[in-house]
This record gives sequence, C-alpha cells and structure tokens, in this order.
Amino acid sequence: MGKYLLRRILQMIPVVLGTTLLVYALVFALPGDPVKAMFGDKPVNQAVAAQIRAEYNLDKPFIIQYLLFLKNALTLNFGNTFAGQPVIDEIGRAFPVTIKLGLMAFVFEALFGVAFGIVSGLKKGKWYDSVILIVSLLLISVPTFVTGFLGQYFIGVKWRILPVTAGNDPGFIDLLMPAMVLGSASMAYVIRLTRSEVSSNIAEDYVRTARAKGMSNRSVIVRHVLRNSMIPVVTYLGQDLGGLMGGAMISETIFNIHGIGFLTYQSILKGESNMVVSIVTLLTLIFVVCNLVVDMLYAALDPRIRYA
Amino acid sequence: MSDNTIQQAKASSRILPGQERYVAPAGKVELQDVDSVDESMPATNMWADAWRTLRRNPLFIVSAILIVCIIFVALFPGVFTHRDPNFCQLDHSLEKSSPGHPFGYDTQGCDVFTRTVYGTRTSLSVGILTAILVVIFGSVIGALGGFFGGWVDALLSRFTDIFMAIPMLLGAIVVLQMFRTSGSIWKIVLVLTLFGWTQTSRIARSAVMETKNLEFNTAATALGSTPGRNLLRHIMPNSFASIIVIGTTSLGSYIVSEATLSFLGIGLPTTTVSWGGDISNAQTILRTDPSVLFYPSAALAITVLAFIMMGDAVKDALDPKSRTA
Repeated sequence: MGKYLLRRILQMIPVVLGTTLLVYALVFALPGDPVKAMFGDKPVNQAVAAQIRAEYNLDKPFIIQYLLFLKNALTLNFGNTFAGQPVIDEIGRAFPVTIKLGLMAFVFEALFGVAFGIVSGLKKGKWYDSVILIVSLLLISVPTFVTGFLGQYFIGVKWRILPVTAGNDPGFIDLLMPAMVLGSASMAYVIRLTRSEVSSNIAEDYVRTARAKGMSNRSVIVRHVLRNSMIPVVTYLGQDLGGLMGGAMISETIFNIHGIGFLTYQSILKGESNMVVSIVTLLTLIFVVCNLVVDMLYAALDPRIRYA
Repeated sequence: MSDNTIQQAKASSRILPGQERYVAPAGKVELQDVDSVDESMPATNMWADAWRTLRRNPLFIVSAILIVCIIFVALFPGVFTHRDPNFCQLDHSLEKSSPGHPFGYDTQGCDVFTRTVYGTRTSLSVGILTAILVVIFGSVIGALGGFFGGWVDALLSRFTDIFMAIPMLLGAIVVLQMFRTSGSIWKIVLVLTLFGWTQTSRIARSAVMETKNLEFNTAATALGSTPGRNLLRHIMPNSFASIIVIGTTSLGSYIVSEATLSFLGIGLPTTTVSWGGDISNAQTILRTDPSVLFYPSAALAITVLAFIMMGDAVKDALDPKSRTA
C-alpha cells in the first residue's frame, strides 16, 4: 500500500507539471497587451510600462516566466493581479464560497443520486422506477444554465421559496438553489449508474448463493448488492468532485456568487493570466488528489483489490 | 419446484431426510436451449446481432425517429420557414405568437420559430463533428497505449492525464478567448475535441488491453499474424463496441457544451444562429417573458435526449452483459 501510494504520488508530479505548463502556454498565447490595457485611454508611458513588465516578469522569455511561476507557486506566492491585489488573497476570499457550494452540491448529488438509484434499481419496472428514470433523463438533457433559469424563475421569482441570487458572503439558504442546480446533472448520472449496477448485481450468482444460505433480504442487499454496486459509483463521485469545482462557473455566473468560477471567468475575460494559471493549478491539484483518494477507497470497498 | 420432482428424485436414489436436492425436469433446463444449435440459421456476427436487438428496442425506434427528424430540420430549414433568421424588426419586439409566427418574437423582434429552426444545424453539426473527431483521436491514442504497453503506454497515459486534469469548460474558455470574433463552428468543434478526447482514449485503452489477451488473438499470432495485423484485424474491430457507445452517449454532452459556451458569450457570436446564444439573450427578459427562453431550451433538450436514448439503446445492443431488463 505504502509503495503504491508513493508511486502514485510520483506519477502525479509530471501530470501537475504538464497541466500547468499547458495552461500557462495557452494563457500566454492570449492576444492583447494587459500592460497597454492598464493605461486605458491615456498615452502609454514607456518607462512605466517597462517597469510594470519587469515587475510581472513579462519581459522575460516564456519558459523563464513559467519556471519563475513554479518557483513562487511552491511558496504559495502567486504574484499580484494587475490591480495590485495579491492573487492568493483573492483566491482565499473566493475559495471558501466555492468549497461550500461544491460540497453542498456533492452531498445533494451523492445522497439523492444513490438513494433514488437504489430504489429504482431494486424495483425495476415499477411506476416510481419509470418516474425516476424519466426525471433523470430530463435533468441530463437540459443544460445546467437552463435548469438554473427555470429554478430562478419558478422557485425564486414566482413562488418566492428561495432567494433568487446569492450575492456577497452567501449563507446556507442562499446557496441551496445554486447547489441543487450545480449537482442536478451529476445526480442524474449517479441515479442511472447506481440503478444499472444494482439491477445487474442483484442477478449475480453470489446473491443467489447468499439467499440460498438463508441470509435475510436486508443483509443480502446491504452486504452483497450495495457493496459491489458502490465501486463504480464512488469512482464517478470522486472524479465529479473536482469537476464540480470547475463546473461551478455556470451556477456562480447565474446566481451571482463570488466564488472561484466567477473569479476565473472574470479573470479570463480581463486577461489576468496570473490569476487564471493559479486557479487552474489549484483545481488540477484538487482533481488529481480526488482521483488518488478514489483509488484508495477501492481497496476498502473491494477486498479483491490490494495495492502492492 | 414441484413436489413431484422431489418425490421422483427421492425415489430414484436413497436420500436421507434433509438431504433433498432439487433436480429440474429435463424440459425445464435452460442450458439446453443454449446448447442446441440451429444449423439452418444463416451465419451471424456481432454487428448483425446488435442490429437485430436494436430494431426491436422501442427506445431505439423513438430516438431514431427523433434524430431523423432533427437531421431533416438541420439539412432543410427552408422547408419549415421562409424567413431569414437574422431578419429582425424592432417594432415586433416581444410580440406574442400570431399565425405564421407560432413561437412569437424575441426582444430584438426576431421570429423565435425561425431562429429555433435554424439553430438546429449549428448544434447538430457541433455535436456530430466533435463526436467523430473525439472517437478518431481518442481511440488511436488509447489503442496505441493499450496495445504496445510499456513505456509507450506510460507516456501516452500521462499525456492523457494532463488533458484530463483540465476542466473542459475552463480549458475551452481559455482557448476560445483567442478566437472570439470567428463565427465558424470549427473553433468550437476543435476546442471540445482538444479537451474531450481523454475519456474515449481511456475506454479504448482498456478495451484493447482486454481484447489483446483473448484466445483468438493468441491463435492469430500462432498462425503467423503480425502484431500490426492483429491490432487492425482482430483487436480494433472487437474493441470498437465500447468506443461507439461512449461516442453516441457523449454526442449530446457536446451539444450542451456548445450551448454553454455560447451562453457564456464566448462561443459563437450572435451572427451565427445557435440555441445557446438565443437562450443567453432570452435570459435578460426571463422575468417578463419566459416563453422566449422556453423554445430554444426545449429544442436543445429534445435533441440531447434523443442522442442519450440512442446511446442507451446502442449500449444495450452492443454489450449484452449490460442487458438486464
């Protein structure tokens, strides 16, 4: 286990380096001169411009810039935005909001997705199975931003159950609708995955054996069917946790939540390369770590998998 | 289990109480059906078999009809409307539906029906082209890694990991920012391919690795087949099923991604008619006139639904193990 973990962590290094280099190259290739943009309509003062360029390392060749970025990133120093704010402060302000939103969406999707999936997989063909299946198909087909607008219109404006937008420093109630919207499509995937796993596992030989040995229905379902069905579901959920942080961009834009997604989108539009690269680096790290945790969870769920 | 059978079994051999075993009557044993081969039947293969299953699946029939209709609308939008989707008159702004304009008008006074009809082509082309490119690129990389193994696999797997770690939407926005003014759908197709091929590649890789170790492959090698021939003639055709399944299923998600990018204002410019762009424009008047938002959203949802249903049906047909109903 320890050896496997070490190998996986070593494998993560080229992935993180490669991803940051790729994103850095893409952002670097963005057109437009941010220094020129800082002057607005005023004439560009060459001396000041050169000083700013030097300060942000913009005068050095691309690969040096990247290495300098890496060196600073190791000490969590991501530099300043063009407005002079330290990038890490801005991220630090936005991140807790997105973590809160992402975790709420994750709990929503895992809880309801698995529950509905089990109900529907165990009772295939019943009327509520069909209802669950149709609703999950609809949630997958309707894009998140449409779900968001519909939620805003009906729940927020017409019935006034939940607040329409979240704004600054949102609380649990403010984030409830955005989290549900963010998690809805993934929840539908979890329902479908759980349903197909449960219904195929219930027909397996080991389930028949367990029943033949006189095990109660409850234990058969919990110990044999569910435990085996959860492996692919846990994989999906683990990969999706990183995806939720990235996907938060849509819900945060619609509901006016000042989280990471909102910040990233604004930074890309403004050409804040430092900010974009820093956020993507963080998201990549989260994603890679989530994947590692999922692989470790396999061993707990499936005794056949042992990492040597 | 009939008591009669148990009685018979008891009678035939001496069985102590508590040792009764169930012996099914010969006619009831399902295996016999499997064992008996009807040699008068024409020879079949996986694809013919899959097609036979597909044809009978109601899910396939419904989705196929929907997709044929959608393709027809995309190819011949002129059959359904005689107007130009970009012909808008402000004095019609937000007018309700009237004869000849079943969906009414949007803020700019454009006919919503005409724009919804013409938007079909954009969404469908993006979905289909991306799916084709993703399948080609992803399966080539995945198959090479899975087939050769060793350092080739290690290299290609890390390459895949790098692209996989970048959230699709984030990467797409960064790249598209460079081509904001271009109205060509190819920029969307290429960007979605760039960040979307990894999943297909992973699936192709594991399918090839699985197929590589099957007996017919060893048999082919024993008969003097070269590795290259093995890959092309034996492994690829047998791994293709799972790649087709993921291709069909993700087609719908590419359509959603295009709409999402256009919604963020970073996809196609408003001069190119697309559902995502129209939904984005309708967002501002959501509270006064939600119907303008409804029609392009419904068109988008129906299209995506059709492709997801098709993917489910194809999966059932090509992967008999997953068939449970």
